[in-house]
Amino acid sequence: MDHFPTNWGRPRNELYDQYNTFPLHQRPTNHTDTFTDGVQRTQQPIVTGTSVLAIQYKDGVMMAADNLASYGSLARFRDITRLHAVGTSTIVGASGDMSDFQYLQRVLDEIVTDEFTAGDGNSLGPAEVHEFLARRMYARRSKMNPLWNALLVGGIQNGKRFLAFVDLLGTTYSASSLATGYGAHIALPILRQDVDPNPDAITEEAAREILRKCMRVLYYRDARSLDKYQIATVTSAGVSISEAQKLDTNWDFAEKIRGYGSQTQ
Amino acid sequence: MPDGSYERPQQRQFNPYSENGGTILAIAGADFSVIAGDTRQSEGYSIQTRYAPKVFRLTERAVLAVNGFAADGNMFVKKVKQRLEWYRHAHAKDMPLRAIARLIQTMLYAQRFFPYYVYNILGGIEEDGTGAVYSFDPVGSYEREACRAAGAAQSLVQPFLDNQIYFKNQTPAPGASHPTHLPLPDVLSIVIDSFTSATERHIEVGDGLEIYVVLAKGRSTQELASIGGLQELSTRAEGDRMFVIRRDLKKD
Amino acid sequence: MTSIGTGYDLSASTYSPDGRIFQVEYANKAVENSGTVIGLRVKDGVVLAVEKIIHSKLLVPEANRRIQTVDKHIGLASSGLLADGRHIANRARDEAASLLSMWRSPPTVQALVDRVGLYVQAYTLYSSVRPFGCSTIIGGVDKTGPALFIIEPSGVSYGFHGAAVGKGRQLAKTELEKLKLSELSTREAVFEIARIIYLVHDDAKEKDFELELSWIGDETGGLHLPVPKDLYDEASRKAKESLENFE
Repeated sequence: MDHFPTNWGRPRNELYDQYNTFPLHQRPTNHTDTFTDGVQRTQQPIVTGTSVLAIQYKDGVMMAADNLASYGSLARFRDITRLHAVGTSTIVGASGDMSDFQYLQRVLDEIVTDEFTAGDGNSLGPAEVHEFLARRMYARRSKMNPLWNALLVGGIQNGKRFLAFVDLLGTTYSASSLATGYGAHIALPILRQDVDPNPDAITEEAAREILRKCMRVLYYRDARSLDKYQIATVTSAGVSISEAQKLDTNWDFAEKIRGYGSQTQ
Repeated sequence: MPDGSYERPQQRQFNPYSENGGTILAIAGADFSVIAGDTRQSEGYSIQTRYAPKVFRLTERAVLAVNGFAADGNMFVKKVKQRLEWYRHAHAKDMPLRAIARLIQTMLYAQRFFPYYVYNILGGIEEDGTGAVYSFDPVGSYEREACRAAGAAQSLVQPFLDNQIYFKNQTPAPGASHPTHLPLPDVLSIVIDSFTSATERHIEVGDGLEIYVVLAKGRSTQELASIGGLQELSTRAEGDRMFVIRRDLKKD
Repeated sequence: MTSIGTGYDLSASTYSPDGRIFQVEYANKAVENSGTVIGLRVKDGVVLAVEKIIHSKLLVPEANRRIQTVDKHIGLASSGLLADGRHIANRARDEAASLLSMWRSPPTVQALVDRVGLYVQAYTLYSSVRPFGCSTIIGGVDKTGPALFIIEPSGVSYGFHGAAVGKGRQLAKTELEKLKLSELSTREAVFEIARIIYLVHDDAKEKDFELELSWIGDETGGLHLPVPKDLYDEASRKAKESLENFE
């Protein structure tokens, strides 16, 4: 959905941003300007993951992402894990380009190993991992060669919950509930309603149910989503990433839809 | 082309900038300075977070407000703070306000051909004990002023400040004249009114308000006594003193 | 020391007429005079132990560690020159990271030892460098199971069930041979290795020592970690007890 009225009704450029990963508000205009012929490079995401959701709750942080990596509109890989544990108290969830994410996984694993082999008793917490990613993403955008992702970083540090966002521009922010991509439009309002008043009142089971509900809404509305997803939790006990689980969905309502296309009666 | 093909290869460029909304504002008094900003961070029609500070304490007597592209803003503040720390290590004192202002110009202009997409307002107390506000454009042009608003609601707030601080379009009573500086309570009222009004009329402004108040050395703190949500940030009781006032703004 | 004064011992790049490289042999002397280092390869893991001689009572306890971590699942204990040991550990970390990035799976201990052995050997080839003054025990648990190796100053490496280098190696080896290493659990091995370190330590001649213990096994989730404090204390206590019974 393009929320910008000025873009409505214009012919869609099929080559640019087919996968709707670019921030909506700066959708390109379809006309050409003086600089169109200028030398330009850089990239576009190829194999992409859709939304990641995360909330803070009583015992820590919970994050969810489905198992799909799309190739344009093709549901290309259906068993991809988009949640990655970093050390023993951090979880990173990725949307956007999956090869860039895999690169980041390698880099993160490397710094975790470096920290472990140093044997000085220090370990990386979510705040450090987020700072590292923010610096790396900002550095790459400043080289005009971005890592095409929107990432959520969650975890527990010194008994305090941590949840923050970073994207391909190096933009960062934190809140008690976060979502990337489509989830920021469709799931985040639900998450905020359930979580923001008092994250401490949400039990693990309630948190799981909230995320399940939002993943279902996203599966109904986001054409690049899948009904197979994983949930990660970070508590003082450590990180755990669930097995892939199936959403229970109900499509009965589709029978009764009338009023557009050829089926108007 | 009519057949759906393209005349020449389509080219596109990654846009390294974004715009994250919000508004900042600073007003200088005779012996104090007030620097404020809302705490909403947004992109397009989405609120990213309701609490992302845009106003930062630099030294005991200097406060920097940054507005525009948040990633650039955060990185810029980080680098300014680093330069100020190096200055402290080299000279065993804080950098004076006017020197910070020039430093900021130099740092911004260094990025002239890939600018920090950030509007800066620096407020604080000068070495002579006067309140000061410096405002900057993204590539480093700057001047010292009595007041300045910047950001999403600049066009709403600045005319209001022109009228209330500079007394533009106001004629003094016969025989009277306009004051050059307003007292602190008046300034705080103007700041709060500016943000509540901007919140009403601009979608990118709201959620929370942070008002930093820097008082010159020896000045009475009496006028702040009755203010709610006040927190002192000064580390020394004798020098200049700094306070922050945190308030809610409408979240819709 | 028949080599002294002959001129054949001045450089690692010169053989003696009977085919020896004296610089390498001198490097071995540095190892022989150092505190004992032992490694055990047992049923489900590996245990490393060091008799770290305390040169000064002013040293902070646990400073100057001789057991280091090379990769999540690989540990390294060095005898001889401490600084050389640290250099080799750093090199081993780089090699482990390089193997990981090449194969995308945790390196086997064998592969790592081959690389580090090659590196150590290179320092026996040139007149401009001296060989490393340390023997390195590398142990870990990989996809092939537990593995334990010694790399000597010459660069040669051998795999072992039980390895001992340093001053007390002879007595230690005699003790190691009495153990049924392939039947021991890692936890049992911790007690044995602590006992042997205490046994080989010569109170009369040596200054005080500090026991360093690390393990890799099922109990550590395949990670190379220092032995936890309670187990360490218990192992040291039992080691001291058995010492009294032994005498």
